[in-house]
Amino acid sequence: MADLSPLASWTLADVQHFARRAGFGLNPADAAALQAQAPGAAIDAWIDGTAADSAAFTAALASADVVTEALVTASTTDPGSVDVPAVPGPHAFLVEGANAWRNNLNTAQALCAWRMQHNPYAFQERMALFWHNLFATGQHKVNNAALMLKQIQLFRSQGLVKFDDLLVAVSKDPAMCIWLDSVLNNASGTNIPNENYAREVMELYSLGADNGYNQTDITQLARALSGWSFTFAETDYIANPASPSQKTAADGHFRVYDGSAIAPDTRLYYGGARSTTYNLHGTGTISLFGQTLDITTTANGWAKGENALRSILVQRGPNCAQFLAKRLLIHFVSADYSAQDQSDVAAMIQAAGFDLRVVMKTLLKSNFFFDPAHRFALVEGPVSWIVRAARMLCPSLATASAQTPKGYPAWRLVTSNATTFDQMGMKLLDASGPNGWKEHTAWLNSNTMRYRTKAAAALTLNETRSSGGTTYPLFPTSLTTDWFPTAPASAQAVYDRLVALLQPGTIPASVSAAWLAALWPSTFTWDAAAQTKARELAFLILCSPAGQLY
Amino acid sequence: MTTRREFIQTLGATGAALAGLTACSGGGKSSGGGGGSTQPPAPPPASPILVIVNIDGGYDWLNVMPPNAGSNLGVYQTKRATLGITDSGLLTDLGSGAALNKDFTGMDTLSALGRVAWIPGIGMPNPNLSHFTSIDLWGQGATVPAGTGWLGRFADTAFSPSGDVLRGLSVTSDLPVMLKGASRSFVSIPSAGGYVFPAYLLNGGTVPDAATLETGWGTALNATSPDPGYAAGAQAGKLFFDAQNNPAFGTGGALAARTPSVAYPGDTTYPITRLSGSPLTSSLSNQFKLIAQMIAAGLPGQVYFSRLGGWDTHSNQAVDHPNLQRALGGSIKAFYDDLATITTSAGNAQDRVMILAYSEFGRRVQENNGGTDHGTAGLAFCVGKAVKGGFYGAYPDLTNLDANGNMKFTTDFRSLYATVLDRWLGQATSTTDTLLGSAYPRLGFL
Repeated sequence: MADLSPLASWTLADVQHFARRAGFGLNPADAAALQAQAPGAAIDAWIDGTAADSAAFTAALASADVVTEALVTASTTDPGSVDVPAVPGPHAFLVEGANAWRNNLNTAQALCAWRMQHNPYAFQERMALFWHNLFATGQHKVNNAALMLKQIQLFRSQGLVKFDDLLVAVSKDPAMCIWLDSVLNNASGTNIPNENYAREVMELYSLGADNGYNQTDITQLARALSGWSFTFAETDYIANPASPSQKTAADGHFRVYDGSAIAPDTRLYYGGARSTTYNLHGTGTISLFGQTLDITTTANGWAKGENALRSILVQRGPNCAQFLAKRLLIHFVSADYSAQDQSDVAAMIQAAGFDLRVVMKTLLKSNFFFDPAHRFALVEGPVSWIVRAARMLCPSLATASAQTPKGYPAWRLVTSNATTFDQMGMKLLDASGPNGWKEHTAWLNSNTMRYRTKAAAALTLNETRSSGGTTYPLFPTSLTTDWFPTAPASAQAVYDRLVALLQPGTIPASVSAAWLAALWPSTFTWDAAAQTKARELAFLILCSPAGQLY
Repeated sequence: MTTRREFIQTLGATGAALAGLTACSGGGKSSGGGGGSTQPPAPPPASPILVIVNIDGGYDWLNVMPPNAGSNLGVYQTKRATLGITDSGLLTDLGSGAALNKDFTGMDTLSALGRVAWIPGIGMPNPNLSHFTSIDLWGQGATVPAGTGWLGRFADTAFSPSGDVLRGLSVTSDLPVMLKGASRSFVSIPSAGGYVFPAYLLNGGTVPDAATLETGWGTALNATSPDPGYAAGAQAGKLFFDAQNNPAFGTGGALAARTPSVAYPGDTTYPITRLSGSPLTSSLSNQFKLIAQMIAAGLPGQVYFSRLGGWDTHSNQAVDHPNLQRALGGSIKAFYDDLATITTSAGNAQDRVMILAYSEFGRRVQENNGGTDHGTAGLAFCVGKAVKGGFYGAYPDLTNLDANGNMKFTTDFRSLYATVLDRWLGQATSTTDTLLGSAYPRLGFL
């Protein structure tokens, strides 16, 4: 049974467990500061973002080179490549707004990783990552990085609303409309609808396979959601400054294509400028979950067919709650939960009326969540894993911003050719399929472990790249300032500090003893050689099986 | 050629649809593609290799091998009014009421040589039309969740518990459930370079003190911990750790370079393109080239796994599907030809390799607007010199669809696995039956 009553007081280990799961970890000093607060109020503030001072983050995002830029191949003609002085926009490493013409996956991935590393409101990024896995969408079909980032922003801004509202918002999201063929779902007249989205919205996004619907429900829901698409305004098109005829849409606006006037926009998703939308929407009634619904009504300000989508929760609430409970459990709590645990969490979700803010607060404050058996009980996903390590080992945003060149980790280089996250097992913003990524031990195979060790080497062993006469570390780190502000007096002190920063699962004593004996076979002196050894020890901790757990 | 008895066992209630199929061997009526006459199967090799090709997304095989005669044709013409391939000029007749789409490059040639065993109508009971359920079940070789894959269980049984690290290989970056065992899993190696520990991320520079780090990591991988998840990290890490120590991965972790002996789809010299004129995808070609390189380098791989995605053609099928067929068929043909030029101490690679291609399901007979939705029964096929070409199992009866308008399967997918396990991978009949949980009728192509 899952004890969902709130934790009365917390230990430092509790705080760190919470911060790892509900964010991307806290260093020992910040964790101690949080522990001084009562858990209930502290967790409310963490989830609401009211304790986070985002001024420096917002300023950096608006004005700074969010990733070191001089190393990226310069080109004015190739979208996605960058020539800083020659391109518009606040800075060269965004693919949104005025920079949408770049349409570059690497850059978009880098921006997401940078935000995860530096956003003081870490929970917002954590929830965005969670929803990105659940509503997994892929650039290889959407082919528009700005629209992919718009979807991620939707998760940031609406990741804690009521689940039915989120489900509707995602269903109207342009990237999603492309991803699962809503834009091509035509049920007007006698046309046979494309059931891709209708199937997956129930199987993958709200109920789970074989959990409360059948093939008839799929085809009926597909009729209801036919014509769900989006339009563009002329101003949504951003021209490549080096090739003005080459334009990329920076935004899109949901519309049901039902033959109505297209104003205020001017362009259809496909087919160029028109005065009216095509008519792709089915009319009349459908039978969904045994209920008859009129899919042409627009009550409550809803889109045509929206009542059918919302009826998933109305008619199949318990199934949906069970589905959500399962996903929340394996991401935030444990893969080793009982059927009773799942039912208890599902009951809580229903009692909360699917209000995700209430759900997350209840779950993450609960004695169940803080059960010591759940610490390090999950394998951490690779993006979260490397982001958390970077948070622990890299300078703070304030420090980085003051450096010349700015000391932000060069995520744009780390995501080079979009392969790093892919080979580690999570190609951010480019899921291979709509089912996203399986979690826990499914993150690990021989290839993902191989690439985790390579990323760990880049971070801990100070991998550098040289370009234009400048050598940059991929991850700028300061061993003496950040890792060891106090000089360690012994090999064991080095180990203890690194464990406190990197927070691996339990490393068997025989393993740590063997490492220390190999690295420091004789007397310990905190000199340059020892500092190199400390980097090697950090590498071993991060690569070890225990280092994959959180 | 399968026996009459085997047909009856696999057909069940839909046996009426098989008329004529038993008489068809190897697509011998084909004259397309410049293929020669049907050749007898070669004897089974001493060191067989199985190459799995996952046709990912549920391919519309009904447009790959459409009906071209009889009542099936009538249904097909009605339900595929827009997307159907009915022009005889686009098809190579296989006899028995079925034909091969000429966009399926090279497969008509291989079929005419008698090198292809076709299994139309392969599937499972009670399909739920979900990609992910079906992928799991095809991977597990079971219709109830088993947690392990049929090839993973083969590895558990046949591989040395502490060795054989390179005997099962995926050339994809992931590890599908098919390749996961209870105690053993396949190794995933998606490229032939830099396969060494420790290494930096961007292939620049040498990691200092590599020997200490390698020893230290090995110590951690061989340890145990009560944390759930530690063992998974240790197992996955150890596979990489042990594999990269194979001497075949030479300086810098590189396999011996190899230049393919033929052009593959996606190569600039490959003559066939997408409909648009741009090159075909090289995704599967690159995986096959890597497998060929691994075989040539003498890696002890017995089972390889590869994948070509993009087949979930809910929309835009008229463009995407021909392009995909060209890449799939062309890659298989190129690979088959390329293998003939590889000879190691274990023999000639073309003699050793059998390709098994499958997809998680076929697609709905009735098209939607521009595409096809999820269906049921599929088309699996095996290609190799030892294969007895022809049809195995009945082509589904399109006049007798299920309540959702989908085809009823005619051959249980586990019959394919059972045939491969004991007639290609050398398992005892009883072992095969244990690995699959029951005794499934064998197909006659081996």
